[in-house]
Amino acid sequence: MRAVFILGLGGLLLAGTAQAQQPVEAMAAAGKKIAGQCRTCHGIDGYAKIPIAPHIGGEPASYIIRQLTAFRDGTRTHEMMSVVAKMLTDQQIADVAAWYSSHSATATLTADASGAPELCAACHGVDGIAAVEDAPNLAGETNIYIDTQLKAFRLGKRKHEVMSAIAADLTDEQIRAFADWYGSVKLEIKMAD
Amino acid sequence: MKKLFLSVAVGALMTSSALAQSANVPSNLEKLSGFKTTGVTEFTFIEQGGDYAEGIKKNLERITLPEGFKIELYAVVPDARHMAVGPQGIVTIVGTRKDKVWAVTDRNKDRVADEVKDFAPSLTFSIPNGPCFSKDGFLYIAEQNRVLLFPAAEFFYESPDVAAFNLVAQGDLIPADQESFNHTARVCKLGPDGKIYISLGQPFNVAPPENIEINTKLGIGGIIRMNTDGTGREVYTNGIRNSVGHDFHPTTGELWFTDNQVDGMGDDIPPGELNRQTAMGQHFGHPWFGGGDVRTNEYAGQDVPVEVVMPAVATAAHAADLGMTFYTGNQFPAKYKNAIFSAQHGSWNRTTPVGARVMVTTIDDEGNATMEPFAEGWIDENGEYLGRPVDIAQLRDGSILVSDDLAGAIYRISYGE
Repeated sequence: MRAVFILGLGGLLLAGTAQAQQPVEAMAAAGKKIAGQCRTCHGIDGYAKIPIAPHIGGEPASYIIRQLTAFRDGTRTHEMMSVVAKMLTDQQIADVAAWYSSHSATATLTADASGAPELCAACHGVDGIAAVEDAPNLAGETNIYIDTQLKAFRLGKRKHEVMSAIAADLTDEQIRAFADWYGSVKLEIKMAD
Repeated sequence: MKKLFLSVAVGALMTSSALAQSANVPSNLEKLSGFKTTGVTEFTFIEQGGDYAEGIKKNLERITLPEGFKIELYAVVPDARHMAVGPQGIVTIVGTRKDKVWAVTDRNKDRVADEVKDFAPSLTFSIPNGPCFSKDGFLYIAEQNRVLLFPAAEFFYESPDVAAFNLVAQGDLIPADQESFNHTARVCKLGPDGKIYISLGQPFNVAPPENIEINTKLGIGGIIRMNTDGTGREVYTNGIRNSVGHDFHPTTGELWFTDNQVDGMGDDIPPGELNRQTAMGQHFGHPWFGGGDVRTNEYAGQDVPVEVVMPAVATAAHAADLGMTFYTGNQFPAKYKNAIFSAQHGSWNRTTPVGARVMVTTIDDEGNATMEPFAEGWIDENGEYLGRPVDIAQLRDGSILVSDDLAGAIYRISYGE
């Protein structure tokens, strides 16, 4: 698990040599302090405290870095996250991503696996723990959060080379059904020692 | 028994037959609109005792109140948001920012709820934050982009199949491309004119120029009102950023509302707002003003093309004033008569958190409003939230309920018991 995200992080950080030389543990420790800005909504362990915020504990660092950078650069917008991300440096983003990705996310199905949406499962997993590096975990997210994101991809408010195409043809009913599936998964986040 | 329910509801609906004719209703809503069963028979019940409740009670020991008042756990209600107390005092309906609506019942009237179960479990809700009752027992639930109507809800709620109708059909509250998750927690209340008033937050931190026209026209970033048969929709209030609480003064009938103000301008500006509206069509300043008389950076130096009403109370910056109710009960001391009890949810990005408390606002004979803390202590010594109050509602005995969507609870504050 850890090996996977270090690989991902390494790939992304080729551009930023300052970060690449630091051990992940030191980055995570620095990131924990920055997470003081995140915890009211996302929790200090990344288990969200409010429905509009996604769970980010155990998320791949590369995903968190990409989203925070997109919020900062304005390619993804949200009235709260755009405000927060505007203040963050590359180093701070890498650190806070290291903190949240250092936890482990475990998912438990509450329904039969045969009900999982095929269209999503290849990347996001049957249980919402992502199977590919580029995808976020969806396990236990509030269904309305997933619903909102899929509609944002469909409308073009949020863009991604894979998701924009997938969401383009979905109906409201399909979107809600997919959101309900992943929303029903029980998520546990275990903090790193 | 069932026949009685039907006659009550059918009678009520004779006056508003248009309601049942809306097209494109989801299948279960269609069935419930036709008084048919959906096949959904199971409620989700929330455990009321146990360790979780004990933990909440322990946190309540830290809460400070004026002399003679006490706060107790009333119910464990996951994600509890805005509340509507049934006019007969039978049930309290509680909204969430997820997909559930909860029905809270105190059967033995010991002022602690005995039963919490989901309301209308066969319906698919999206952000059903805002319930409100009419005096004659119609329940309205304002969702992200729909408003449902439940006749005689205080009777029907005991069954999973509750008679249900569209007041505003899915997608007709706002255009679908204006939907967001945040800032779509709607609040509704019935006004003294018998119309329903619904707040519509706008989805941005600061509304961009290209949205001003549609916002003004539809009442996004405003409060709309309509007749209780869904006709006569009009924009009552403009220039709001995201209001999540309103109520009508018991004697003047004027609309008062809270508004959450702009983020990212620093820890101490702009102030939050408690507003008083004296006439239809008044404008409260967004997006030219970020809160109080503080101009937004995005519109700095620009002429303000509207006449702006300044807040009755400029509240603590970022404290997030949400739900509010005028106090009309007899239990509390006389100084609280017609005062406003309101909830501050607490800041999310202030360096030192502020809020997470119940406020009380008294209004003098000249209409001057003064706000002060009433119940506080939900922020611990480490700056961590133990609870985040959302809304206030009054029970028939004159005590008040406080909802908390972090703890997932409803508290009851009483005096002299």
